[in-house]
Amino acid sequence: MNPYYFASIALILIGLYAVLTKRNVLKILVGLSIMETGVNLLLISVGYVSGRSAPILSEGITPDRAVDPIPQALVLTAIVIGVATTAMALSVVINLYERYKTLNVEEIRRLRG
Amino acid sequence: MSQYASLLIALPLFGAFFIPILKRTSKNAVMPFLVLVTLIQTGIAAWVFNEVYTTGKPIIVLAGGFKPPVGINLYIGHFAALFVLVIALASFLMAVFSLRAVSIEPKDKYAMLFLLLMLGATGMISTGDIFNLFVFMEITAISAYALTAYNKTGEASEAALKYIVLGGIGSSFFLVGVALIYGSLGTLNMAHIAELAHLVNPTVAKAGLALLIFGLAVEAEQFPLNAWAPDAYQEAPHPVTAMFSAFVVKASLYAMGRVIYILSAVEGWDSILRLLIILGTLTVIIGEMSALRQSNVKRMFAYSSIAQVGLIAVGLALGTQAGLSASVFHMFNHAIVKALMFLAVGYVALELGGAEISKFEGLGKKMPITAFAITVGAVSIIGIPLFNVFWSKVQLILAALNAQYTWVVALILGASLVEATYYIRLIHAMWFKGEGEKVKESNVLALVMLLLVALIIVIGIYPEPFWNAMQKAGSDIFDVAQYVKNVPLLGVNP
Repeated sequence: MNPYYFASIALILIGLYAVLTKRNVLKILVGLSIMETGVNLLLISVGYVSGRSAPILSEGITPDRAVDPIPQALVLTAIVIGVATTAMALSVVINLYERYKTLNVEEIRRLRG
Repeated sequence: MSQYASLLIALPLFGAFFIPILKRTSKNAVMPFLVLVTLIQTGIAAWVFNEVYTTGKPIIVLAGGFKPPVGINLYIGHFAALFVLVIALASFLMAVFSLRAVSIEPKDKYAMLFLLLMLGATGMISTGDIFNLFVFMEITAISAYALTAYNKTGEASEAALKYIVLGGIGSSFFLVGVALIYGSLGTLNMAHIAELAHLVNPTVAKAGLALLIFGLAVEAEQFPLNAWAPDAYQEAPHPVTAMFSAFVVKASLYAMGRVIYILSAVEGWDSILRLLIILGTLTVIIGEMSALRQSNVKRMFAYSSIAQVGLIAVGLALGTQAGLSASVFHMFNHAIVKALMFLAVGYVALELGGAEISKFEGLGKKMPITAFAITVGAVSIIGIPLFNVFWSKVQLILAALNAQYTWVVALILGASLVEATYYIRLIHAMWFKGEGEKVKESNVLALVMLLLVALIIVIGIYPEPFWNAMQKAGSDIFDVAQYVKNVPLLGVNP
């Protein structure tokens, strides 16, 4: 077992806790970002092999001396997607604050039933 | 020749990014351009459908000519060919509706997001790689968030916020599932995963699969993660609501079915099917019960949609080919019926200023064609014979009996009973209550509605040719060995 797994799962759970219990919309979004970071760390650690270098071919570095490059490519994509989601969410929150004058999720509930 | 199928992905993408340039020259050309692009997409999809169904062979597009698992492939088999056509056609009809329904600026942003939503759903259905599936899922999700918030009212933003939070949790779960599967098998290609599935540690595979299902369940509106759906359906622009129900949900359900069946060689796989059956059953019960007490018709249809999606998930999880085919048939029928109903309700809300049930009183006198369309849709979804949904419900019941899930029969019949209660209430309000002046109905929209009504009745009377196509589509998901054989894997096929 790789110690990074525990760290990443801890980050995911901390993020999930924040999303589920916090009242402030911005704190919920911070929780989502923490979750995404945890997931990205998990993906990276799946491909990590202790003692090997980054997957860039240069002098003395052959494919069997580098870590797995695929998870790193995946994480780059996932980070970009995460940034897009966060930007989208923040712009929605700006509009929400203008209409409701509050960021408390308990007060943002006109849609019910 | 078959490489041209990649235009299904390329055309909406180029179309979407051409819109800002187009806007600079002429602002009024944006919406007609949207209709044009979706029309061309329908043409390509019809060609692909014809190609796949006449040759009987799937179209496989290799990105950059690299063989999988090194390269990424698109897999357009019987299922994907059929549903790409459904997506393109529904998008085209909704683009026509958008000409009238969307009046708030910025229309160019609307058109871009519309095309990206269509692109995402098409990609989810045709990709052959689980990480690519994630990327297309996020394209769909982000454009869906933005379109939900498009009306810029407080309620629309609230609905979008709920959707974003749930979608964010779902996509994180999905990625953890991808990480588990990649960590244990070292591959992301679906065919390669299916080939290696018997080697994987069952606990890891089951955990990964459950996480993938929970990730997809947000878009597929399965029970614990569907709280966003009624709000978003109520507040999104009317054509977008129809698109959510007609194909965004279906694309996620298909993806769910595909990831489940490619791992069918895993030991103890049945427990995942049982998980999905439980989720689906709860979805049906909660959807129907909530639909019963809605006063906003758009919201009522949203809950009804959730219930139907639950039935589809139950069909997917029966674990037999008949169950899958019935489920695909129900997806197809539901896409047609809900496209019609959300179109009609959106049109009523546009003309009469709201979708509360009180606005529907006397609709039979005010807007007879629209009221007729809603009536046909309602009667069909209850499951009256000679309308299309009857046949898919019958097939679902037969498949459940064959798979020895007798209580599913009770679930389907009970759900139909509850549906009958609230749809008959609506029909009663439309035809037997209230008075009103006749409103002039738009000819184009009346034509679109009558076209969909005709399709519902044709399938209701001649179900056999459609059922044959659905069986092929169902076996496309079920027959994993054939799926693996079709994909030219590196080092496996010559």
